Amino acid sequence: MAAWSTLAKPQQTSAVLQGIRRLLAPNATSDLRHGITQQIRCGGGHHKEMFITPSRFQWNKCKDMVHYYVFLGVIPLSLITFFVNIYVGPATLTPIPENYKPKYWEYYRHPVTRFISRYIMPNPQMEYERHMNVLHEEEERRQLYLLEKKVKQLMAERSDYQAYYYSPNTAIKYYRKMKEVKKEENDRQGDNL
Amino acid sequence: MGDNKTPRNIFDGFINAAVTLIDSPVTWFRERVVTPNRESYPWYHQKFRRVPTIDECYTDDVICFYEANSQFKRDKAVDSEILTILRVRMEDCNMFHGPDAEAKCKSLVETYKEAEANWFCKYGDLGFHGNVKDAYMKQKHRMVWERRHGPVGSGMRDAAAAAGDE
Repeated sequence: MAAWSTLAKPQQTSAVLQGIRRLLAPNATSDLRHGITQQIRCGGGHHKEMFITPSRFQWNKCKDMVHYYVFLGVIPLSLITFFVNIYVGPATLTPIPENYKPKYWEYYRHPVTRFISRYIMPNPQMEYERHMNVLHEEEERRQLYLLEKKVKQLMAERSDYQAYYYSPNTAIKYYRKMKEVKKEENDRQGDNL
Repeated sequence: MGDNKTPRNIFDGFINAAVTLIDSPVTWFRERVVTPNRESYPWYHQKFRRVPTIDECYTDDVICFYEANSQFKRDKAVDSEILTILRVRMEDCNMFHGPDAEAKCKSLVETYKEAEANWFCKYGDLGFHGNVKDAYMKQKHRMVWERRHGPVGSGMRDAAAAAGDE
Protein backbone atom coordinates (compact mmCIF):
# COMPACT_ATOMS: atom_id res chain seq x y z
CA MET A 1 0.00 0.00 0.00
CA ALA A 2 2.78 2.34 0.80
CA ALA A 3 4.21 1.80 -2.64
CA TRP A 4 1.35 3.69 -4.22
CA SER A 5 2.65 6.87 -2.63
CA THR A 6 5.78 6.66 -4.70
CA LEU A 7 3.66 7.47 -7.69
CA ALA A 8 2.79 10.74 -6.06
CA LYS A 9 6.26 11.99 -5.31
CA PRO A 10 7.28 14.52 -7.89
CA GLN A 11 11.01 14.15 -7.33
CA GLN A 12 11.46 10.65 -8.61
CA THR A 13 9.10 10.54 -11.54
CA SER A 14 10.56 9.06 -14.65
CA ALA A 15 9.59 10.06 -18.14
CA VAL A 16 7.09 7.23 -18.36
CA LEU A 17 5.37 8.27 -15.21
CA GLN A 18 5.35 11.91 -16.25
CA GLY A 19 3.64 10.85 -19.44
CA ILE A 20 1.05 8.94 -17.45
CA ARG A 21 0.48 11.95 -15.24
CA ARG A 22 -0.08 14.16 -18.24
CA LEU A 23 -2.60 11.65 -19.58
CA LEU A 24 -4.49 11.53 -16.32
CA ALA A 25 -4.50 15.18 -15.52
CA PRO A 26 -3.36 17.35 -18.43
CA ASN A 27 -4.17 20.54 -16.59
CA ALA A 28 -2.57 19.55 -13.34
CA THR A 29 -0.07 21.79 -11.71
CA SER A 30 2.63 20.03 -9.81
CA ASP A 31 3.49 22.29 -6.96
CA LEU A 32 5.15 21.76 -3.64
CA ARG A 33 2.43 19.46 -2.32
CA HIS A 34 3.06 15.74 -2.26
CA GLY A 35 0.28 14.92 -4.52
CA ILE A 36 -1.21 14.94 -7.89
CA THR A 37 -3.65 17.72 -8.09
CA GLN A 38 -6.65 17.58 -10.28
CA GLN A 39 -8.73 20.42 -11.47
CA ILE A 40 -12.42 20.00 -11.35
CA ARG A 41 -13.86 20.47 -14.79
CA CYS A 42 -16.42 23.10 -14.36
CA GLY A 43 -17.63 25.67 -16.69
CA GLY A 44 -16.71 28.85 -15.00
CA GLY A 45 -13.64 30.25 -13.62
CA HIS A 46 -13.18 28.96 -10.09
CA HIS A 47 -10.42 26.42 -9.75
CA LYS A 48 -11.14 24.15 -6.80
CA GLU A 49 -8.60 21.46 -6.44
CA MET A 50 -8.84 18.09 -4.80
CA PHE A 51 -5.58 16.91 -3.41
CA ILE A 52 -4.96 13.21 -3.63
CA THR A 53 -2.46 12.42 -0.91
CA PRO A 54 -1.43 9.30 0.93
CA SER A 55 -3.15 8.75 4.23
CA ARG A 56 -1.86 10.80 7.15
CA PHE A 57 -4.21 9.05 9.57
CA GLN A 58 -1.58 7.04 11.45
CA TRP A 59 0.69 10.05 11.86
CA ASN A 60 -2.14 12.24 13.10
CA LYS A 61 -3.36 9.51 15.44
CA CYS A 62 0.16 9.08 16.79
CA LYS A 63 0.39 12.79 17.49
CA ASP A 64 -3.00 12.69 19.22
CA MET A 65 -1.91 9.83 21.44
CA VAL A 66 1.37 11.50 22.34
CA HIS A 67 -0.45 14.71 23.21
CA TYR A 68 -3.01 12.90 25.32
CA TYR A 69 -0.77 10.52 27.25
CA VAL A 70 2.25 12.76 27.69
CA PHE A 71 0.82 16.25 28.10
CA LEU A 72 -2.23 15.22 30.09
CA GLY A 73 -0.84 12.11 31.78
CA VAL A 74 2.89 11.86 32.17
CA ILE A 75 3.75 15.52 32.73
CA PRO A 76 1.04 16.56 35.23
CA LEU A 77 1.30 13.35 37.24
CA SER A 78 5.09 13.52 37.31
CA LEU A 79 5.00 17.13 38.45
CA ILE A 80 2.44 16.35 41.14
CA THR A 81 4.42 13.33 42.32
CA PHE A 82 7.68 15.26 42.36
CA PHE A 83 6.39 18.26 44.26
CA VAL A 84 4.29 16.27 46.71
CA ASN A 85 7.16 13.96 47.56
CA ILE A 86 9.71 16.75 47.86
CA TYR A 87 7.76 19.56 49.50
CA VAL A 88 5.11 17.70 51.52
CA GLY A 89 6.81 14.39 52.16
CA PRO A 90 5.68 11.31 54.06
CA ALA A 91 4.58 11.44 57.68
CA THR A 92 6.55 10.30 60.72
CA LEU A 93 5.23 7.47 62.87
CA THR A 94 4.38 8.73 66.35
CA PRO A 95 2.59 7.13 69.28
CA ILE A 96 -0.95 8.29 69.76
CA PRO A 97 -1.09 11.16 72.27
CA GLU A 98 -3.27 10.90 75.34
CA ASN A 99 -6.94 11.82 74.97
CA TYR A 100 -6.59 12.31 71.23
CA LYS A 101 -8.57 10.31 68.74
CA PRO A 102 -6.82 10.43 65.35
CA LYS A 103 -8.92 11.03 62.27
CA TYR A 104 -9.31 8.07 59.98
CA TRP A 105 -6.95 9.48 57.31
CA GLU A 106 -4.16 9.97 59.83
CA TYR A 107 -3.49 6.25 59.84
CA TYR A 108 -1.70 6.44 56.47
CA ARG A 109 1.84 7.54 55.71
CA HIS A 110 2.02 8.95 52.19
CA PRO A 111 0.34 12.32 51.54
CA VAL A 112 -1.42 11.13 48.38
CA THR A 113 -2.85 8.11 50.24
CA ARG A 114 -3.99 10.43 53.01
CA PHE A 115 -5.64 12.70 50.43
CA ILE A 116 -7.46 9.80 48.80
CA SER A 117 -8.56 8.44 52.15
CA ARG A 118 -9.76 11.83 53.36
CA TYR A 119 -11.57 13.18 50.33
CA ILE A 120 -12.47 10.20 48.18
CA MET A 121 -12.88 7.09 50.28
CA PRO A 122 -15.50 6.73 53.06
CA ASN A 123 -14.71 6.46 56.74
CA PRO A 124 -13.94 2.78 57.44
CA GLN A 125 -15.56 2.86 60.85
CA MET A 126 -18.72 4.32 59.38
CA GLU A 127 -18.80 1.61 56.70
CA TYR A 128 -18.22 -1.06 59.35
CA GLU A 129 -21.12 0.15 61.45
CA ARG A 130 -23.36 0.61 58.41
CA HIS A 131 -22.65 -2.94 57.39
CA MET A 132 -23.54 -4.19 60.85
CA ASN A 133 -26.81 -2.31 60.67
CA VAL A 134 -27.61 -3.97 57.35
CA LEU A 135 -26.75 -7.37 58.79
CA HIS A 136 -29.01 -6.73 61.78
CA GLU A 137 -31.95 -5.66 59.64
CA GLU A 138 -31.56 -8.60 57.29
CA GLU A 139 -31.34 -10.98 60.23
CA GLU A 140 -34.59 -9.60 61.66
CA ARG A 141 -36.28 -10.08 58.29
CA ARG A 142 -34.92 -13.58 58.13
CA GLN A 143 -36.24 -14.45 61.60
CA LEU A 144 -39.70 -13.18 60.66
CA TYR A 145 -39.60 -15.26 57.49
CA LEU A 146 -38.55 -18.38 59.39
CA LEU A 147 -41.34 -17.84 61.91
CA GLU A 148 -43.93 -17.49 59.15
CA LYS A 149 -42.59 -20.58 57.44
CA LYS A 150 -42.84 -22.60 60.66
CA VAL A 151 -46.41 -21.43 61.27
CA LYS A 152 -47.47 -22.40 57.76
CA GLN A 153 -45.82 -25.78 58.09
CA LEU A 154 -47.63 -26.52 61.33
CA MET A 155 -50.96 -25.39 59.94
CA ALA A 156 -50.39 -27.63 56.91
CA GLU A 157 -49.57 -30.57 59.19
CA ARG A 158 -52.39 -30.17 61.63
CA SER A 159 -55.02 -28.52 59.42
CA ASP A 160 -56.65 -27.13 62.52
CA TYR A 161 -56.32 -23.39 62.15
CA GLN A 162 -58.60 -21.16 60.21
CA ALA A 163 -56.04 -18.80 58.74
CA TYR A 164 -53.73 -19.22 55.76
CA TYR A 165 -55.01 -22.70 54.98
CA TYR A 166 -58.70 -21.84 55.11
CA SER A 167 -60.21 -20.10 52.16
CA PRO A 168 -63.86 -19.41 53.02
CA ASN A 169 -66.42 -20.14 50.32
CA THR A 170 -68.23 -16.82 50.31
CA ALA A 171 -69.97 -17.60 47.01
CA ILE A 172 -72.27 -20.22 48.56
CA LYS A 173 -75.29 -17.91 48.60
CA TYR A 174 -74.94 -17.36 44.84
CA TYR A 175 -74.76 -21.12 44.34
CA ARG A 176 -78.00 -21.53 46.33
CA LYS A 177 -79.74 -18.80 44.32
CA MET A 178 -78.64 -20.32 41.02
CA LYS A 179 -79.81 -23.72 42.22
CA GLU A 180 -83.27 -22.27 42.88
CA VAL A 181 -83.34 -20.60 39.46
CA LYS A 182 -82.26 -23.78 37.68
CA LYS A 183 -84.86 -25.81 39.58
CA GLU A 184 -87.56 -23.36 38.61
CA GLU A 185 -86.52 -23.50 34.92
CA ASN A 186 -86.35 -27.27 35.02
CA ASP A 187 -89.84 -27.42 36.47
CA ARG A 188 -91.14 -25.14 33.72
CA GLN A 189 -89.31 -26.60 30.74
CA GLY A 190 -88.81 -30.20 31.69
CA ASP A 191 -85.83 -32.51 31.10
CA ASN A 192 -86.38 -33.22 27.45
CA LEU A 193 -83.82 -30.72 26.09
CA MET B 1 26.63 6.20 53.00
CA GLY B 2 30.06 5.42 51.69
CA ASP B 3 33.04 4.86 53.90
CA ASN B 4 34.47 8.14 55.02
CA LYS B 5 37.29 6.51 56.93
CA THR B 6 40.80 6.85 55.53
CA PRO B 7 41.20 4.30 52.75
CA ARG B 8 43.36 1.33 53.56
CA ASN B 9 44.63 0.87 50.03
CA ILE B 10 44.16 2.12 46.48
CA PHE B 11 41.24 -0.19 45.79
CA ASP B 12 39.51 0.99 48.92
CA GLY B 13 40.08 4.56 47.87
CA PHE B 14 38.74 3.86 44.41
CA ILE B 15 35.58 2.27 45.76
CA ASN B 16 35.12 5.16 48.18
CA ALA B 17 35.45 7.63 45.33
CA ALA B 18 32.96 5.75 43.17
CA VAL B 19 30.38 5.59 45.94
CA THR B 20 30.89 9.25 46.81
CA LEU B 21 30.48 10.19 43.17
CA ILE B 22 27.00 8.70 43.10
CA ASP B 23 26.03 9.52 46.65
CA SER B 24 27.01 13.17 47.13
CA PRO B 25 24.61 14.80 44.62
CA VAL B 26 21.73 12.83 46.12
CA THR B 27 22.73 13.73 49.67
CA TRP B 28 23.20 17.38 48.72
CA PHE B 29 19.76 17.51 47.13
CA ARG B 30 18.19 15.88 50.14
CA GLU B 31 19.85 18.11 52.70
CA ARG B 32 19.59 21.41 50.85
CA VAL B 33 16.32 21.18 48.96
CA VAL B 34 14.14 18.55 50.53
CA THR B 35 14.47 18.64 54.29
CA PRO B 36 14.24 22.42 54.88
CA ASN B 37 11.04 22.66 52.85
CA ARG B 38 9.15 19.90 54.63
CA GLU B 39 7.09 20.15 57.79
CA SER B 40 6.93 16.94 59.74
CA TYR B 41 3.47 15.70 60.59
CA PRO B 42 2.44 12.49 62.31
CA TRP B 43 0.75 9.29 61.36
CA TYR B 44 -0.40 6.61 63.80
CA HIS B 45 -0.95 2.91 64.07
CA GLN B 46 -4.62 2.21 64.63
CA LYS B 47 -5.51 0.56 67.91
CA PHE B 48 -8.67 -1.53 67.85
CA ARG B 49 -10.70 -2.17 70.96
CA ARG B 50 -11.16 -5.78 72.00
CA VAL B 51 -14.71 -6.95 71.33
CA PRO B 52 -16.45 -10.11 72.62
CA THR B 53 -15.00 -13.26 71.11
CA ILE B 54 -17.04 -15.94 69.37
CA ASP B 55 -17.48 -17.99 72.51
CA GLU B 56 -19.31 -15.08 74.12
CA CYS B 57 -21.81 -14.65 71.28
CA TYR B 58 -25.30 -16.07 71.03
CA THR B 59 -25.91 -18.34 68.04
CA ASP B 60 -28.35 -15.97 66.34
CA ASP B 61 -26.39 -12.80 67.03
CA VAL B 62 -25.09 -11.81 63.60
CA ILE B 63 -23.52 -8.55 64.73
CA CYS B 64 -21.55 -10.24 67.49
CA PHE B 65 -20.37 -12.82 64.98
CA TYR B 66 -19.32 -10.13 62.48
CA GLU B 67 -17.32 -8.26 65.09
CA ALA B 68 -15.71 -11.44 66.38
CA ASN B 69 -14.84 -12.48 62.81
CA SER B 70 -13.28 -9.09 62.03
CA GLN B 71 -11.24 -9.34 65.22
CA PHE B 72 -10.19 -12.86 64.26
CA LYS B 73 -8.98 -11.69 60.85
CA ARG B 74 -7.04 -8.81 62.40
CA ASP B 75 -5.48 -11.14 64.96
CA LYS B 76 -4.58 -13.57 62.19
CA ALA B 77 -2.81 -10.82 60.25
CA VAL B 78 -0.87 -9.72 63.35
CA ASP B 79 0.06 -13.29 64.27
CA SER B 80 1.23 -13.97 60.73
CA GLU B 81 3.50 -10.91 60.86
CA ILE B 82 4.90 -12.00 64.24
CA LEU B 83 5.61 -15.45 62.80
CA THR B 84 7.33 -13.85 59.81
CA ILE B 85 9.62 -11.83 62.08
CA LEU B 86 10.59 -14.93 64.07
CA ARG B 87 11.16 -16.88 60.87
CA VAL B 88 13.36 -14.14 59.41
CA ARG B 89 15.47 -14.12 62.56
CA MET B 90 15.86 -17.88 62.48
CA GLU B 91 16.72 -17.93 58.77
CA ASP B 92 19.22 -15.10 59.10
CA CYS B 93 20.93 -16.93 61.95
CA ASN B 94 21.02 -20.18 60.00
CA MET B 95 22.33 -18.52 56.88
CA PHE B 96 24.97 -16.56 58.76
CA HIS B 97 26.39 -19.48 60.70
CA GLY B 98 26.09 -22.08 57.98
CA PRO B 99 27.50 -25.38 59.29
CA ASP B 100 27.46 -24.16 62.92
CA ALA B 101 23.76 -23.35 62.76
CA GLU B 102 22.64 -26.37 64.73
CA ALA B 103 24.64 -25.35 67.74
CA LYS B 104 24.45 -21.57 67.51
CA CYS B 105 20.82 -20.98 66.55
CA LYS B 106 19.06 -23.49 68.77
CA SER B 107 16.97 -21.06 70.82
CA LEU B 108 15.77 -19.12 67.79
CA VAL B 109 14.81 -22.33 66.01
CA GLU B 110 12.93 -23.62 69.06
CA THR B 111 11.08 -20.36 69.48
CA TYR B 112 10.07 -20.35 65.84
CA LYS B 113 8.99 -23.98 65.82
CA GLU B 114 6.82 -23.47 68.87
CA ALA B 115 5.27 -20.30 67.40
CA GLU B 116 4.63 -22.10 64.11
CA ALA B 117 2.91 -25.00 65.87
CA ASN B 118 0.73 -22.60 67.85
CA TRP B 119 -0.17 -20.64 64.70
CA PHE B 120 -1.17 -23.86 62.99
CA CYS B 121 -3.21 -24.91 66.00
CA LYS B 122 -5.28 -21.76 65.78
CA TYR B 123 -5.40 -20.79 62.09
CA GLY B 124 -4.19 -23.78 60.09
CA ASP B 125 -6.30 -26.04 57.83
CA LEU B 126 -9.31 -23.72 57.89
CA GLY B 127 -9.24 -23.09 54.12
CA PHE B 128 -9.71 -19.82 52.28
CA HIS B 129 -13.23 -19.28 53.60
CA GLY B 130 -12.38 -20.25 57.15
CA ASN B 131 -14.00 -17.90 59.66
CA VAL B 132 -13.95 -17.61 63.41
CA LYS B 133 -16.70 -20.18 63.85
CA ASP B 134 -14.63 -22.77 62.01
CA ALA B 135 -11.65 -21.99 64.22
CA TYR B 136 -13.82 -22.35 67.33
CA MET B 137 -15.17 -25.68 66.16
CA LYS B 138 -11.63 -26.80 65.35
CA GLN B 139 -10.66 -26.03 68.94
CA LYS B 140 -13.68 -27.93 70.23
CA HIS B 141 -12.84 -30.97 68.09
CA ARG B 142 -9.24 -30.90 69.27
CA MET B 143 -10.32 -30.74 72.91
CA VAL B 144 -12.70 -33.67 72.45
CA TRP B 145 -9.99 -35.64 70.67
CA GLU B 146 -7.53 -34.88 73.45
CA ARG B 147 -10.08 -35.97 76.03
CA ARG B 148 -10.46 -39.30 74.26
CA HIS B 149 -6.94 -40.01 73.12
CA GLY B 150 -4.60 -37.92 75.21
CA PRO B 151 -2.45 -35.02 74.08
CA VAL B 152 -2.03 -34.39 70.38
CA GLY B 153 1.03 -36.24 69.17
CA SER B 154 0.74 -39.21 71.54
CA GLY B 155 -1.20 -41.43 69.14
CA MET B 156 -4.76 -42.72 69.06
CA ARG B 157 -6.13 -45.25 71.52
CA ASP B 158 -8.57 -47.88 70.27
CA ALA B 159 -12.29 -47.32 70.60
CA ALA B 160 -12.79 -49.18 73.85
CA ALA B 161 -10.00 -47.43 75.66
CA ALA B 162 -11.11 -44.05 74.34
CA ALA B 163 -14.71 -44.59 75.41
CA GLY B 164 -13.62 -45.89 78.77
CA ASP B 165 -11.50 -42.88 79.62
CA GLU B 166 -14.06 -40.30 78.57
